[in-house]
Amino acid sequence: MVTAKRADHLTAMLLIAPAVLVLLTINLYPFLYALYISAHTYTLGRPAPPRYIGLSNYFDLLDDDRFANALWVSFKFVAIAVSVEFLLGFALAFLFNIKLRGLVTLRKIAILPILVMPLASGLIWFYILNENFGALNWFATLLGASERIQFLTGDRLALFSLVLADAWQWTPFVMLVMFAALQSIPEYVYEAAKMDGLGKWQTFWRVTLPLLAPAIWVIVVLRIVDAFRMIELIYLMTRGGPGGATETLSWYIYSTGFLSQDLGYAAAQAVVMIIVISIVAQIFVRRLEYRE
Amino acid sequence: MAVVESAERTSSTAVSLRSLAPYLAACLVVGFGLFPLYMMITTSLKTDHEAFAWPPVWVFTPTFHSYLGALFGFGGRRADHYVFNSLLITLASSALAVSLGAMAAYGLARFRFRGNRDIAFYILSTRFAPPVAFIVPIYLMVQRSGLLDNALALVIVYTSMNLSLVTWVLRGFFLDIPIEIEEAALIDGYSRWQIFLRVALPLVRPGLAATAILSVIFSWNEFLFASILAPGYAATIPVYLAGFSASMNIDWAEYMAVGTLAVLPIMIFTLVLQRHLVRGLTFGAVR
Repeated sequence: MVTAKRADHLTAMLLIAPAVLVLLTINLYPFLYALYISAHTYTLGRPAPPRYIGLSNYFDLLDDDRFANALWVSFKFVAIAVSVEFLLGFALAFLFNIKLRGLVTLRKIAILPILVMPLASGLIWFYILNENFGALNWFATLLGASERIQFLTGDRLALFSLVLADAWQWTPFVMLVMFAALQSIPEYVYEAAKMDGLGKWQTFWRVTLPLLAPAIWVIVVLRIVDAFRMIELIYLMTRGGPGGATETLSWYIYSTGFLSQDLGYAAAQAVVMIIVISIVAQIFVRRLEYRE
Repeated sequence: MAVVESAERTSSTAVSLRSLAPYLAACLVVGFGLFPLYMMITTSLKTDHEAFAWPPVWVFTPTFHSYLGALFGFGGRRADHYVFNSLLITLASSALAVSLGAMAAYGLARFRFRGNRDIAFYILSTRFAPPVAFIVPIYLMVQRSGLLDNALALVIVYTSMNLSLVTWVLRGFFLDIPIEIEEAALIDGYSRWQIFLRVALPLVRPGLAATAILSVIFSWNEFLFASILAPGYAATIPVYLAGFSASMNIDWAEYMAVGTLAVLPIMIFTLVLQRHLVRGLTFGAVR
């Protein structure tokens, strides 16, 4: 079946070419174009033609406190959100793996947040966390809080509010994937562990965890990459505020490009972001390559 | 006899007590997951005044006023135009992504040629491209080709963004088909194209379904490209939804009604077709 005749070669090319052409146009070309733009001053809505300025935009990044802050905020957000989502989702996978009637239905309901339009998640949490009439503030007064809590407008809590909304949406995703991975471990593995006299914790550390490792890698890398690019919650809940407390790299690029309309500078930031993501993505690709 | 019976009874109460903790924990999780959705749906059924009352109103007479306003334009805005845009763009881009992706997946799974793995991994790597980093060049490309605020631009962009997932997942499904089936078809005189269309494609129907669902979810929910490339006439539901947050006096009830309209179709659609979702979501890495 797998042959290398010339006619087959042509068939293969015809099958693959359309998809590759689309990706070259919408993925590779824009990347090269971003490199080109990043070497120019390029302002939206100004008639003056773009002017070549070499690496100036990149040198400006080195002195830009807002850029340094954006990298730091991105790092904090990704680290906290992914840790929370992973630890909770991992534990919940074991919870829903208990063989009890009714848990199947509950599990299917529990994954509903994954399907919510991210912008709508932002809207809902913006409403719930509102300082003036939000339900969470109402619960807080019931518990004895004397002042309204500034979930979104106070610089200490704003980032954690974003983590709350992100974790609400994506913890079920981690749970779903880890649950599927748990289910794929055959029963006889546990029986063998029992016969070897392993206790509950020993079985977990020496048998279950190593078998789950590939799935853990996949889900953690996917979550890191997606948390890093997240923008909808910020758009609706905080718009990068207060005072840059929630201005991630994604938001800084968006606001440089389309609020300040400085496309050249935004493109330089975008190139940095692509490089950072590529490093993380390499881990994912390597692991899949290894399994092939 | 009596002894056996009582022994059974105590063991069953012990079991039910032990199973109570997992049930409680699971219910807590589900409650936390559903509470925001409950807030959205109930708020959409309140009057505008009740929607931002302090203390929050928990008991109220539901009204569909906001939905009527959102759908039939009593307040001057109409969501139906944007729902139609979303449907059109979602269906067109998903159909394109699944068709082109299935072709590429089959070519990569069943033909040996130099660079096969490189192409496969290039296609996979595009999944990691951060949209916000590509938005500036793509905006300029779309502007130059005169496709700003044109549904076609979003169809092309969404197709390309779904291609990595569709191709990679379906490639796994094709590799799972025993090769003997296709060899038999080849001996029967089928051409390679006939084998692809009439033998292989029907065998990966679950994969087609899973990738189609995920493409639909992605395209329906996408906001960033939609807001930049199609801010006006061709705007989709998320762009319309975002428009509310920009107005000075937010009509919270109607806002939530539009939010519910944006979220519910995908939920119903997916709950009906939940199988094979995990394999798609993890690029076949977890089955």
